[in-house]
Amino acid sequence: MEKYSLLRRAFLKKSALTCTGLMVGLAYEPKYSLAAKVGNSQDLGIWIRILPDGTTTFIIPSSEMGQGVNTSLSMILADEMEADWQMIKTETAPVNSDYINPESNSGQITAGSSSVKGFWDPLRKAGAAVKLMLRQAAAQRWRIPVEECSARSGYIYRKNSIQKLSYGEIAEAAGKLDIPSDPPLKKSKDYNLIGRSVKRIDIPSKTNGSAQFGIDVRLPEMTYATIRQSPVFGGEVMSYDEAAANKIRGVKKVVLIPNGIAVIADNTWRAKRGMEALNVKFNGGETKGLESKQIKAELIKALDSEGKTSTEAFKVLDIEYEVPYLSQAALEPMNCTANVTENSCEVWVPTQFQEACMDVAKEISELDEEQIKIYTTYIGGGFGRRGETDFVKQSLILSKELGKPVKVTWMREEDIQQGFYRPASMSRFQIGLNKDGFPVSWNNQLASPSILKRFFAPMAWFNVDPLSTEGADEIPYAIEDFNLDYTEVDSGVPVGFWHSVGSSFNAFFIESAIDESAHLAGHDPLLYRMKLLAGKARFQKVLDKVAEKSQWGREIPKGHGLGVSLHKTRGSIAAAAIEVSTGMKGMLKLHKAWIAIDCGKVINPNTIRAQMEGGFTFGLSAALGEQITLKDGMVEQSNFHDYPILRLKGSPEISVEIIESGNEIGGVGEVAVPLAAPTLANAIFSSSGKRIRSLPMSNHGIIIV
Amino acid sequence: MPLLKINGTTHQLDVEDEMPLLWVLRDELGMTGTKFGCGIGQCGACTVHVNGEAVRSCSLPVFSVQGKEIITIEGLGENHPVQKAWIEEQVPQCGYCISGQIMATSALLSKNLKPSESEIENKISNICRCGNYVRLRKAIRRSAKLIQKQGA
Repeated sequence: MEKYSLLRRAFLKKSALTCTGLMVGLAYEPKYSLAAKVGNSQDLGIWIRILPDGTTTFIIPSSEMGQGVNTSLSMILADEMEADWQMIKTETAPVNSDYINPESNSGQITAGSSSVKGFWDPLRKAGAAVKLMLRQAAAQRWRIPVEECSARSGYIYRKNSIQKLSYGEIAEAAGKLDIPSDPPLKKSKDYNLIGRSVKRIDIPSKTNGSAQFGIDVRLPEMTYATIRQSPVFGGEVMSYDEAAANKIRGVKKVVLIPNGIAVIADNTWRAKRGMEALNVKFNGGETKGLESKQIKAELIKALDSEGKTSTEAFKVLDIEYEVPYLSQAALEPMNCTANVTENSCEVWVPTQFQEACMDVAKEISELDEEQIKIYTTYIGGGFGRRGETDFVKQSLILSKELGKPVKVTWMREEDIQQGFYRPASMSRFQIGLNKDGFPVSWNNQLASPSILKRFFAPMAWFNVDPLSTEGADEIPYAIEDFNLDYTEVDSGVPVGFWHSVGSSFNAFFIESAIDESAHLAGHDPLLYRMKLLAGKARFQKVLDKVAEKSQWGREIPKGHGLGVSLHKTRGSIAAAAIEVSTGMKGMLKLHKAWIAIDCGKVINPNTIRAQMEGGFTFGLSAALGEQITLKDGMVEQSNFHDYPILRLKGSPEISVEIIESGNEIGGVGEVAVPLAAPTLANAIFSSSGKRIRSLPMSNHGIIIV
Repeated sequence: MPLLKINGTTHQLDVEDEMPLLWVLRDELGMTGTKFGCGIGQCGACTVHVNGEAVRSCSLPVFSVQGKEIITIEGLGENHPVQKAWIEEQVPQCGYCISGQIMATSALLSKNLKPSESEIENKISNICRCGNYVRLRKAIRRSAKLIQKQGA
């Protein structure tokens, strides 16, 4: 277990950001981009393809998983190039270093709410360059100066004339021109798409069943597989009845895979039946015999090793918080389809992390990158789980073994029990308040498993996992004596990226702790925060907005309570308030929530609102009832009956305010998730006087109605 | 050899009687609009209509729906008022649960154009992991209005 000082951590975090060395290929390099990487004569650089009929395809470098990235990135390109929005189609990019997000430090990946933030500059330049090329091509056709050619809605217009040329008519000629290195960009006042609520491009196909998710892939001669892995993490297959499985109609083959076994059949259900007949037994494993109460004991031991800070102040708050492991539980179960032959390898996969898929495809197929193709499908929910490649590897192994295309589909039970979970974590605070009730010292000890350790073992080289401490390390409140200690705890349960990562628990800890401080001091929790945010206008403004919208301070009905919280993550600042009522026997009703976000710059208000609504609801679901617990080394939960997801019934109305501050672009996807748990817990305290310090709330007898 | 009537077409199938309708649709017939989410009738991603009722096809053995009128998302068409409402309200996020939401809503509204809030909450119990319930609620109401308008 490692301890560290805040100063050292801050230094390391900074150096980690500067030494990633993945700036390759992300600078806008005109000549480089002109090379027909996508392989079509209609390509104008790597981002845009225009067919003679004017159909304009944008190559989207991020995975579409519901965040609306196909639309928001298309808006940036279309606005700059003055495309006709009705003619836009999208394609997800192939694996190529040209498509790496400038914000990424791990290659081609869609994560960390960074797509718009990272691609804003390169895509504006690409759109502007193509527009200029189209104007130049028109100018050549008409033998006039380029200044006399203007672009609008998919056409080049000739000055003082009724003549016009469609983009489709001149695309081929434009494609032969050099890509200008420094094309003029539009002024923000001239945007006709950016900043407007635009309907998402992908939505119609998602209302008629035609959208192709990974699980929908069908290939000639394709077979269907399902897998089972040791329920004790790291365990091995001990025995199985292959003959029994082979008796099941449609079963083709039984194949051992890492830590588990697969049944391949001619239909997914038959593969599942084959698996049942197989009667697999496992033994061993790193978590053998592990119980949730032991994990909690380890976390407490880690906190004890850090010790509490003795605080001398007018009043001292001494509190302890706890959160469980959580599953991403994306609705589309893990799946992947691979077709490995002697000299080619194709993978169809709902992935957030193309680069890692390529790596695993190279490893299993033993082929070169040029022989491998990764096709990204629509993703039925990512939330971080689809940055992993366990399911990709399985499909590759099986296809290689069978010599045919294989689609692996996990059953829900496998998805819940074979996760990379949000780490179970605990946090203690000793907060000293002065005689006016404001904190003068803030001592926070955090114990949490490390997510990064898996990628950067041994952990000693950076002493701390910044993903575990994110959200706890830079609180916005003015507190003179601020200390954070972190201890890494490893129980053997796999941990990974869960929608908003460290902020998903640290925001609950911090924003509950500050609320407790306010109440201990006898202050209004919103005004208390406001006071501690003196001079921080962006934070104050979002808080002010939710105060205004929720009519904070109004008289509310008996049994009702309003709670508030504030958090900065992914470069955006957001605040939320919720009104709840509590009744007898733990009954809880969520009436209405208000969210305000300052994400710097606004591309598509429609999708920003959707992400705020959805992210907050996702966070509420977790806070209310989700938990992964261990019994005898295995995950106890198995499906939605015991891993309950919030449904329409019980979910609150949510109103969203977007503040365009003109600051640097911030992320959106994960920003509302961390707010849900503390806002809710603070509202429950306000309504009932009951302070909830551990999640989920269902463990405290709270029932949503 | 079950005989199934799906979206107006009769299919003669050589499958086990116990095979759930979901896997007949998806793997045998290639109608992948109906989604697999949990396999135990919890999430509603696999919702289809059988004789006008919304049912969860993952838990429905194919022999039990022989001769009945089965409608899937593909059979609802492209211009159903519920689909229009979903587009207008921009309901889908990842989109995976949407076929089920639309099938559940269209069945509910085909019987009752003015369901109470609690009827809606009890009948539309589909899981949306992205958390689109704010828009779902609006879209159900809008669907009812569009259907009424269409009927008028």
